[in-house]
This record gives sequence, structure tokens and C-alpha cells, in this order.
Amino acid sequence: MEKKKLTKAKRRRLLTAVILAAILAVILIPLWWAITLSFDANAITELPAFSWLPKEASMKNYKYATEMIDLVRYYTNTLFVALVNTAISVFFALLCGYAFAKGRFFGKKFWYFFMLAVMMIPFESRMIPLYLQYSSWGMINTYWPLILGNVAYVYGIFFASQNISALPDSLRESACLDGAGEWKIFFRIILPLCKPVMAALSILQIVAQWNSYLWPMVVIRSSKKQLLSVGVSLFNAQENSIYYGPRMAVAVLSAVPLIIAFLCMQKYIVQSVAVSGIKQ
Amino acid sequence: MHKKITKRDVKRNLTWYSFILVTLVALIVLVYFPTFKTFYFSTTNMGTFGTDYEMIGLRNYKTLLSSASFLKALGNTMLLALYGLLTIPLGFLLANAINGLGRTKLQGFFRVMFYMPNIITGVSVVLIFQYVLKGNGGLLNQFFSQIIGREVTIGWITDPSMSHVGATIIWIWMNLGYSMLLNLASLQSIPTEIYDAASVDGATALKRMIYITIPQMKSCFAFLFVTGMINGLARFTDLYILGGNACAGRPNGTLQTILMYIYQYSFESPRYGLSSAGAVILFFIVFVMTIFNVKLSGFMKGGD
Repeated sequence: MEKKKLTKAKRRRLLTAVILAAILAVILIPLWWAITLSFDANAITELPAFSWLPKEASMKNYKYATEMIDLVRYYTNTLFVALVNTAISVFFALLCGYAFAKGRFFGKKFWYFFMLAVMMIPFESRMIPLYLQYSSWGMINTYWPLILGNVAYVYGIFFASQNISALPDSLRESACLDGAGEWKIFFRIILPLCKPVMAALSILQIVAQWNSYLWPMVVIRSSKKQLLSVGVSLFNAQENSIYYGPRMAVAVLSAVPLIIAFLCMQKYIVQSVAVSGIKQ
Repeated sequence: MHKKITKRDVKRNLTWYSFILVTLVALIVLVYFPTFKTFYFSTTNMGTFGTDYEMIGLRNYKTLLSSASFLKALGNTMLLALYGLLTIPLGFLLANAINGLGRTKLQGFFRVMFYMPNIITGVSVVLIFQYVLKGNGGLLNQFFSQIIGREVTIGWITDPSMSHVGATIIWIWMNLGYSMLLNLASLQSIPTEIYDAASVDGATALKRMIYITIPQMKSCFAFLFVTGMINGLARFTDLYILGGNACAGRPNGTLQTILMYIYQYSFESPRYGLSSAGAVILFFIVFVMTIFNVKLSGFMKGGD
């Protein structure tokens, strides 16, 4: 009796797993197909029928794609901007998070609300004046407009302050008694304890930065400085509906770093999204 | 009564302010000031940068709200955002199935793999879906052709009557993983004692789902609803690229969102006054949504 019940539960679990695998296959097939197309020598002027593997495998599409657009430059630019922005946004988020979690100062509540209220203002609704402002500072076509705003990463501040306020006060108090100032406490005690928060926010930021599109398109004009996302979409718009293979080669090349990074750090990424609810 | 401000208090305040000063300045200069300026611009007839302009009151709003193309963009955005909410029930079902596997390696595998599309929601996905949804020989049509044994040529993103379906397919593909992940986290935070008590009382699986699981998931659903609406209302990148890097919202304007409309009158044919008014309208919609978020789901975290 007992045994039979067990196998029934097991069988149901197996069935669930099979169904889930089938759904997953449907979801991932477009990605697989894109990879196949990108290696298919025939996918230039016509779209080949679906096949699991390219009918005539070659690197032609990749060669063509890398000749058409300066992927290496776009990569370097994107990597540079993404890393700088991530470092800045996470660092300042932790600074503010610490002040709001443990600090005692005049106007703290007001400033906290002042900061969080920004979540209600969609970035796009201040885009025009912001663009004009940067252009009057002569910063259009530089990376400054992409970088400066990151000192106010509001979601990060909220997440950091929640996490830091959960740290026990006793750590700070004993350091205070030893005569350490707040900055010293921040660097010596708080930062090391915040490694998980840092990791979570950094991951979310890198992905967001890698995928950002509208604002870079608005402020970066020269193709030498352009980022991967915009550069790739420009390539897409250049040709009229042909060059299937090369386009898929570009799509694959621009997605691969993210996929690799994701698979390496999947545990942390999934955890940080699930815990914070921050999408990007 | 009068509290004396000592030198130490001043020093303490200065120290703490040094932590937040840079961010505060940035918030004022790069967030609040431009936002107010958007409100101001929206009451002027400003054309492009550097030209003369004057205050014209609320005329821009009147123009927008009586303009068929703006109302169409507004309607498109709302509808697409609403269709996008399908990710909530779908994500819930998916999360339930994955949760049913128990805390095994297999569960971890599915959790990660279903989430993956959410990471690569960049331009590359749009490029790929251009061909998945292509009318002539696209992957989806190939699939349907196989099933019914006849050539299917639905223009998922080129036929105005189907474009919302096509756009929703992409949206669901990109966002299902996120919804699944939050649903799963929320499911797993429901205390198991509740279920134990219910099974002692002899509640069936369906009853447990309706009377225990779903009420416990309320704050998660509310959070996903509001964030889903906010993200949906700010939709731009994928539809802009699908429309051939243009804001017209091909086909036939059925895929033009508010943001594309704003972009069109900001950078393609600049009328800053008008596009600012559009931005203010977007602001108010998101503002109301966010207030809902705060009320419904207990700030940011789905209530937990």
C-alpha cells in the first residue's frame, strides 16, 4: 500500500517534469534556431525552413557580420560603460543605504522620502529637459550623460538600506567606542558585511546597463562611441529584410556574453531577483 | 525646553550628510529639476532647442487629447500592457508545476532555465523574433503549417489586425520567467503548517489552491500587476526596432506606444512642448500606478 502511493507521487512528478521540459523546449527553440541560422551558409537572401542543424555549416555569416559592424568596438564601449556605471551606482547606493539605515541626522525622513519618491517618476518623462541640460553642458556624444545619473540608483538605495538596517547595532557601537568615525566603520565593517547585497545589485545593474537602449541612442551620436544595443539595431535597420544569417550572427554575438555570465552566476542572479523584486 | 545644539551634533550631522550629499545633488539636478522643466515645457509652444517660445497654457494637452494618433498610441499602450499581464497567471501555473517537483536539483534547473530569457531581453531577442514572427516562412508560421498541413502566412507583426498578438507573444516570452520567479518565491514562503492543517481537514488539492494558495499570493499578484503595468506603459525598445527603427509603430500605427509618440515629437520631428505634455501624461499614469503599488503590496517587496 505504502509503496504504491509513493510510486504514484513519483509518477506525477515525472509527468510534471516532462511537461515542463516540453514547455521549456518551446520557449528555447527560437534561440536554438537563431544559432542554427547564424551558421547556415544559405541564410543570406532567403529564410531557410526550420532545421535542428544548419544544412551547410559555415562561419560566413559571422565573417560578414563582423565586417559590417565594428562589434569589437561596441563591445569595449558597452563593457566600459556597464562596469563603470555598476561600480558607481552600487557604491553610492551602499553609502546612502548606510546613512538611511543607521544614521541620525536632521531631515533624514524627509530625504529618504525625497529619494524614494523618484521611483514614481518614469525616466522617460524627464528625458527631454535632461537631454537639453546635458547638451547645454556640452556633454552630448560623451559618456557623461550615461554615467552621472548612476550616483542616484534609487532602487539600490532602498534595497541596501533594508539590508543594512537588519545588521546588528552592536558591531557599530563597539567600533564607535574604539573611536572609529562613521566612514571608517563603513569601509571596515559595513562594506565587508554587505558583500551579498553588493553582488545582487551589481548583477542586476550589469544586466540593466547591457540592455539599456533608449537613453544611449539619444545621447550618443558618433558610431565610434556607440554601445552594442544601439549599434546592433542600426545594423538591423540598414538592410531590407535580407541577410538573415548575418543578422542572427550579430544577435548571437551580442547575447552570448550575457548568457555566459548568467549561466556562471545563475544561482546569485535568480536569488537576487527573487529577493529584491528588482527587474532591471 | 530649548534643546541646545552642540558642536558634536553639528559634526555628527555633517558626517552623515557627507554620505548622501552627492546623491542628493544628483537627485535635485538630474531628476527633480528636469521633471519640473517637463511640466513647464508642456505649457509652452516650444519647437526645438534654442528657438523662441511662449506659454500657451494647457493647449498642448488639449491638442493631444483630441489627437486621434495620440489617443491611438495611448490605447495601444494600455492594451498591450493589459495583454502583458497574462504573464501573471501563466507564471503562477508554471511556478506551481516547478514547486511540485520539490526542492530538487531538477527544480533548480527549471527555475534557472525558465528565467534565462529575461536576462537577454536586449536587442538580440528582437532580431530573433523578427524571424520567429515573420509572415512569410517565419518559425511560428512554419510550425502552424506543419500542424494543419497547409501554408500559413499570418503577418504577426505586419498585419495590423494581428500585430497586438505578435507584440504580446514577444512580451510574454521576455517576461514569463520573471513572473515565474517571483511567483515561485512567494509560493515557497507560504508556511507549510497551513497546508498540513488543511489536509487533516480533508481539503482537496483544488480547494487548497483556491482557499489557501491564492489568498496567500495576493500581494505577489498585486506587485506583479503594478510593475507589469508600469513596465508595459514604458514599452519602447522592442516595438521601435520591430518598426524598422522608427516611431511610427508599423504596421499602420497599431504598435505605436506613448513613449514612441513622445520620442517621435522629441527627436524625429521635434515639438518639445507637445512631447513634454505627452511625458506629463505618462508621468501621471505611472504615478497613480505607483501609489497603487504602495497601497496594495506594501512597498516594493510584494508585502513580505
